[in-house]
Amino acid sequence: MKGTELVIKALMDKGVKYIFGYTGGAIMPIFDEMEKKQCFSFMMARHEQGAAFMAQGISRASLSTDNPQVGVCMATSGPGAMNLVTGVADAGMDSVPLIAITGQVPTHVIATDAFQESDVVGVMMPLTKQAYMLQDVNIIEETIHDAFFLASSGRGGPVVIDIPKDVQIDETQSDYTFKAHEYVPDIPGFFYSPFPERDAIQKAVALINRSERPIIICGHGVICSNAGKLLRQFIEKTNIPICFTLHGLSALPVDHPLSLGMVGMHGTVAANRTLPQADLIISLGMRFDDRVTGNLEKFGVRAKIIHVEIDPSEIDKNVKTTVAIHADTKEALVRLIKDPELISKPRRLWFEQVDAFRRERLDELEAELKRGTGKQGQLLMKTIVRKLSDITLGKDIIVSDVGQHQMTLARFYNFQTVNSWFTSGGAGTMGCALPMAVGVKLVRPHERVWAICGDGGFQMNIQELGTIMEYETDLKILLFNNGYLGMVRQWQTLFYDGRFAGTPLKNPDFGFIAKAYGIPYSKVATLEEIEPALTNAADHKGACLVEFLCDPSEVILPMVPSGGSLEDMIISLSDKRISPA
Amino acid sequence: MNIKIHTKRRALVAFMLDQPGVLNKVSMLIRRKMYNVDTITVCKTRTLGISRMTLTLCEDSDDKLNQVLKQIEKMTEVISAKELDIDQSFWREVGLVKFEADKDHFKQLSEHYSFDILDRQNHEIYIVQLSGTSKTIDDFLKDIGDEKIIDMARSGLTTLEK
Repeated sequence: MKGTELVIKALMDKGVKYIFGYTGGAIMPIFDEMEKKQCFSFMMARHEQGAAFMAQGISRASLSTDNPQVGVCMATSGPGAMNLVTGVADAGMDSVPLIAITGQVPTHVIATDAFQESDVVGVMMPLTKQAYMLQDVNIIEETIHDAFFLASSGRGGPVVIDIPKDVQIDETQSDYTFKAHEYVPDIPGFFYSPFPERDAIQKAVALINRSERPIIICGHGVICSNAGKLLRQFIEKTNIPICFTLHGLSALPVDHPLSLGMVGMHGTVAANRTLPQADLIISLGMRFDDRVTGNLEKFGVRAKIIHVEIDPSEIDKNVKTTVAIHADTKEALVRLIKDPELISKPRRLWFEQVDAFRRERLDELEAELKRGTGKQGQLLMKTIVRKLSDITLGKDIIVSDVGQHQMTLARFYNFQTVNSWFTSGGAGTMGCALPMAVGVKLVRPHERVWAICGDGGFQMNIQELGTIMEYETDLKILLFNNGYLGMVRQWQTLFYDGRFAGTPLKNPDFGFIAKAYGIPYSKVATLEEIEPALTNAADHKGACLVEFLCDPSEVILPMVPSGGSLEDMIISLSDKRISPA
Repeated sequence: MNIKIHTKRRALVAFMLDQPGVLNKVSMLIRRKMYNVDTITVCKTRTLGISRMTLTLCEDSDDKLNQVLKQIEKMTEVISAKELDIDQSFWREVGLVKFEADKDHFKQLSEHYSFDILDRQNHEIYIVQLSGTSKTIDDFLKDIGDEKIIDMARSGLTTLEK
């Protein structure tokens, strides 16, 4: 068999349905074979970075379905592969399984600086779980099977397979056989143990039972192991308040009585006030990112820490744990819930304190949400998000870009559906939303998908409107246009004396752009127009774009200043530490 | 920037698949995580296809060292990694030194150190091979005298447990 046939066969054996990519000289043979076989839905992105994010959308959104899939993207050598890098690195930071297949120049010209040659393995190695370059046609199938196993086992991540053009067209040995359904990957250095040790569980239960002021931090691991329901059982059984990391959101309904919302740099007042007071922090599938902890030296100083984590290198990396449970979050939760010694406590004093934190600034916030406009009469993002949340009952899928609107969504969208929130967290890649939403919609076709962007990020992958047009993807695109790179502007307002260096944008007429791609468009400038526009978008079949003219001076508070501790949180613009313009 | 000087010298041993790119991966990790590594040596083991890597570094914090270990173990090519107890293991290296010495000086050196003479030119210029602890080699070099040394190379440490 030919190399290209083996690539296609292996991908089919692994259940791949969708492939995103962009062709070119060194990947042509594989594209040609795909065209002959017609076995996948192929989507041509308009830029390789778009293809990588579309593939991410597949992996992220299908986790919670009956048929979890690993997204696959393809690109040619040199610039094609290099354009994938951002999307691949992003998958690495957010633990998203992803397979990237790149063409490479033929073996005999490798290392001669041949046309469109670049050192893909060298570049990808530090960003991926594994980067292969195949030099032998006979190991193509086994390598692709290994790659899927690595990408999706344990903590997810990207794997890159670089295939020189001559290997793609080589023929296998005459006695070549490979039994896909019998093949078990043998990777001696890859350990993956989903099950927690009994001893650690016992210690954790003892700590939980003893604790008077516990709190849970729910991370991406809960979503990745599809443990939302178990988490709910666990918090209800133990009566412990819970807060979420950015990627932990949508693990359970965010308005659950025990929920405090998101914690961290832009977390809720309630979560950021409660966490430092806790005597026990139970962190589930999260990695104590600096955006969650703030200043590490002041984080959790009063608390003992139980850390449930699948990746052993995350344990004790940033925060010293009292009890480390090295396991899949789901397996750990199953055992914790089943433990006969685990008790529920009323913790009346603790909840009184937590409730007081919940009430802090609540009235002011509600007044602001109701007012809905800034000083110049432009719309507030939070009001739009609140209305979106009300109209969709919090049940729709939200794919967000990166910036102020992302934090606003994380704070004000009332997530009800498990695994319904997708965005670039660790890497914070602007431009992720539009392509990611394309992948998400493919694997969750019966749910409504909203792609929400700022005017900066929207233009970073705006070319993917072409993909949306071509494949008639049913996305509701909301563009929060404030004419600035809002989050950086916010930092400039708070910490750089209001000098707006490199943040104002002269934007094109987005109506014309939408028209050029044949996408229905509407513009919203007043409060009254918000609801009808959102309802229309929700009811419309097919893609549409709604642009909102937002107030550039809106800041998303509270905010923990970079390097500060959660207790240093700024909750009001009248805070003495800041110097607004 | 304040650079903290670490004084505690430690050795890690890792067993890994003998594949191209593995050494590259480890050295990239060292750069990426800014570990302060002194020596790396790699050799074959008795098992075909498995290499043994010895890393030495100066690191006072146990937590940081555990992180290094975990990050190395995370690589799919690494089968195991551990720290060696300094009192329960031997740490040795080989030094090759080319130097000039007169008869008396050379005699003195041979009385104090056990080395092999690899080459001798004009009765005055020697290339010798000396193995031992890092300190032995340091002392040997000191006794030769910096101005007398023409060239030298050291292998980096390799280690074995008791």
